[in-house]
Amino acid sequence: CPSGDCKMSLQDMFDRLVMLSHYIHSLSSEIFIEFDQRYAQGRGFIAKAINGCHTSSLPTPEDKEQAQQIPPEVLLKLVISLLHAWNDPLYQLVTEVGGIHEAPDGMVSRAKEIEAQIKQLLEGIQKIIGQVHPGANENEIYSVWAQLPSLQAADEESRLFAFYNLLHCLRRDSHKVDNYLKILKCRIVYQNNC
Amino acid sequence: VASTIAFILLLCLNISFLNGQSPPGKPEILKCRSPDKETFTCWWKPGTDGGLPTNYSLTYVREGDENTYECPDYKTSGPNSCFFSKKYTSIWKIYIITVNATNQMGTTASEPLYVDVTYIVEPEPPRNLSLEVKWPKDRKPYLLIRWSPPNITDLRSGWFTMEYEIRLKSEETDEWEIHFAGQQTQFKIFSLYPGQKYFVQTRCKPDHGYWSRWGQESAIDIPNDFTMKDTTVWIF
Repeated sequence: CPSGDCKMSLQDMFDRLVMLSHYIHSLSSEIFIEFDQRYAQGRGFIAKAINGCHTSSLPTPEDKEQAQQIPPEVLLKLVISLLHAWNDPLYQLVTEVGGIHEAPDGMVSRAKEIEAQIKQLLEGIQKIIGQVHPGANENEIYSVWAQLPSLQAADEESRLFAFYNLLHCLRRDSHKVDNYLKILKCRIVYQNNC
Repeated sequence: VASTIAFILLLCLNISFLNGQSPPGKPEILKCRSPDKETFTCWWKPGTDGGLPTNYSLTYVREGDENTYECPDYKTSGPNSCFFSKKYTSIWKIYIITVNATNQMGTTASEPLYVDVTYIVEPEPPRNLSLEVKWPKDRKPYLLIRWSPPNITDLRSGWFTMEYEIRLKSEETDEWEIHFAGQQTQFKIFSLYPGQKYFVQTRCKPDHGYWSRWGQESAIDIPNDFTMKDTTVWIF
């Protein structure tokens, strides 16, 4: 846009967001599956990963009905909170993943890509909030991530589990974000008639 | 002492084997699947019955809840299955599922299965497949393939996003030709052999999930004059 002030339509913006969130979830899924196959086989990590997500304190909708009942602007804010909650852990993930024994290059580059794409996604969502609810006040819920020491744990087993858990939660949260955004798109742009 | 215990144990085993009776064999959870991201079903395979009437029960623990619950519905999805209706389904929580086989001699539990409903989504195949040869004026004729999404999935709300694939083959060949249709529910095919019968099927896949089975097959006879005559323009 040469003049720099052209506005994208809400539909275009949502199309882009949904493409991004879809892509981010695919990446998260790939990185989790790769890690699982390479490092987690037979270690029973999944049993330990239950209730282990640092974002579980965020009041995100648990099914379709709940997601549809929340006002759009509240759901958008929840998505932002969910994404912000990953700033820190993703940064650490990118930094620490190289330290895993024989970490494949693909894992490092995917982690970096996810980090970059989430920033893009956040920017897009802020723009949409600006259009749908201009002047909406910022009252974001923060969730704290305090698992850095476990990513740096001396013993291999604990460290691998910390990564496993983080990647498992990333996959889940990126799926939530993708699903919420797809619902919001159908609600805001197509009046629930996608 | 150890040998005496072993002897008694063997004796007990022998007695039960003489009756042909023993605790049930270990059941195996075969699969859990959700057709719509709102409900899901798990199926199991019974082990040996130990020569006695055996009862099966499915129990589960859900992430975020300490309690163990029993299967809410053994009927809806048929024998050796458990159906979780909307009320019992949450897609972003891990379920730890176990099947217990019980007879008079004792109980044997299956290996637990960890299920995250997000990752067991496999829809039903598309419906209402229709085939029609179209003859647009002054254009090449084509085969128009149309279908509808499966009944149970909610595409309107955005909860589900569906992609489709179609495949077709003529009666002369054994090989299917596959086309990806994206989110469209129709597809045009231009290059077909005239005078041959074609079989067509469709299947669908949610945005993050598994392909459905191929749906019902439909067939159509492609007319002999299907290709438009080559028009050659002579310039003098």
